[in-house]
Amino acid sequence: MFQKLIEESTGKSPWLFHINAGSCNGCDIELVSVLTPRYDAERLGFKLAGSPRHADIVVVTGPITAQSLPRVLRSIEQVPEPRCIVTMGSCPQSGNVFRGSYSICGPLSKYVHVDVDVAGCTPKPEAVIDGLALAARILQEKRRAKK
Amino acid sequence: MILDALKYLAYVLIFPGFLFCFLTGMLLCGIDRKLVARMQKRVGPPILQPFYDFFKLCGKETIVPDAANRTVFLLAPLVGLAALVVLQLFIPVFSFTAFSNVADIIVILYLLLIPALSIMVGGASTGSPYAGVGLSREMVTVLSCELPLVLVLLAVGKKVGAATGSGLCFSLTEIVRYQMAHGSLIGNLSMIPAAVAFLMVIPGETGSHPFDAAEAETEICEGMLAEYSGAPLGVFKLNHAIKLLTLTSMFVMLFLGGIGGGIQNLVYTMGLSGGLAGALITLLNVAVLFALCVAVTVVTISFVHAVTARLKIEQIFKFYWTVVSALALISLVLAWYGL
Repeated sequence: MFQKLIEESTGKSPWLFHINAGSCNGCDIELVSVLTPRYDAERLGFKLAGSPRHADIVVVTGPITAQSLPRVLRSIEQVPEPRCIVTMGSCPQSGNVFRGSYSICGPLSKYVHVDVDVAGCTPKPEAVIDGLALAARILQEKRRAKK
Repeated sequence: MILDALKYLAYVLIFPGFLFCFLTGMLLCGIDRKLVARMQKRVGPPILQPFYDFFKLCGKETIVPDAANRTVFLLAPLVGLAALVVLQLFIPVFSFTAFSNVADIIVILYLLLIPALSIMVGGASTGSPYAGVGLSREMVTVLSCELPLVLVLLAVGKKVGAATGSGLCFSLTEIVRYQMAHGSLIGNLSMIPAAVAFLMVIPGETGSHPFDAAEAETEICEGMLAEYSGAPLGVFKLNHAIKLLTLTSMFVMLFLGGIGGGIQNLVYTMGLSGGLAGALITLLNVAVLFALCVAVTVVTISFVHAVTARLKIEQIFKFYWTVVSALALISLVLAWYGL
């Protein structure tokens, strides 16, 4: 029963950790707007965590610059299992307008397994909430599979 | 003998102990989160959200940092939890008391420090710089709250002690019994400043807005909790919830204890007696206590959270040692002169 409780709860309380990997700040603002009274992602249990050790879902924005790559990977490693990785905006998926630049190492999926991609420049808050809710479901699946 | 042991075991594990603390503390926390959301015109999380958070954290991996002292790191949250459960045993539920003593207020004062100490020790054992900053701030917050808290308890003790002729009364049970016979202390003009001071101490002791400099999540990653993950983090969150229950129920018992007398009269006028009346009184006591705890939480935590921003640590210290202490001192002086 205890396992069942944990499994149920895992999908209902996903805490976010946000990593800016050279983003232009557009996606970062849009991610925060998801938590504002208008969209209020907290009703689904989402909460912005200050430390990667508290997080369940890692949200990465930006085209993964060469400077940020080792830090991004290290931060992701610090998130306890089960965890989900969500990329937000087109940059971490494809490089967007920065594609081909000498200073970027994207896409992120070259280095870690990405669970959800939310495309757009920047994605609408509705799309972000949709992506995060999907990530929460995947989190629950991961917990179930682990047991 | 065995029956006594079983009774105390039930006290510790079920009724005013662990299970009761767990359920009501988490519910209080959930109601607080929901209300803050409503005050900000949000829908807010479900009221059961703290339970989800707790169980989720139980299922997560626990990472122990290389630099940390493993034993201290993992034991600290449990020590805090144990202290809080024991503390709740000393707080009467109107006419019901698990342990009653001649000087339980002094025990309560010491036990109230242990959860704060446990979080500091746990944070310090990780060696994280965030924890270091959080730790020094937590220490200052605890110091700031302690003076007004002691003054409030002295004022109440003197008031009741003078009325019952025992000088200074350090027994919470005695204080509640006095109020059940003579009406709540909050109805007493000289006690109102002390009650206001205690209400102001509650958010400081629980580390909620605007006195949460020690756990500022946007600034120092929740300070001492920065390195915690999984079940130990969940236990720390639980400690926070239980502390909320402890402090609010302490306020109810110190200043609104007279309501217990009303409950007793109500049950007896219904013509009940014996075991049934006793059971009904206990049940009503718990229900009324919980309702009052919610009311106190709304006033001191939710409303204040919704309208204030975080204070700097020196502002917290100054606020408690001037405004709040002065209020408590007024009550103490008035009580000393028998008003």
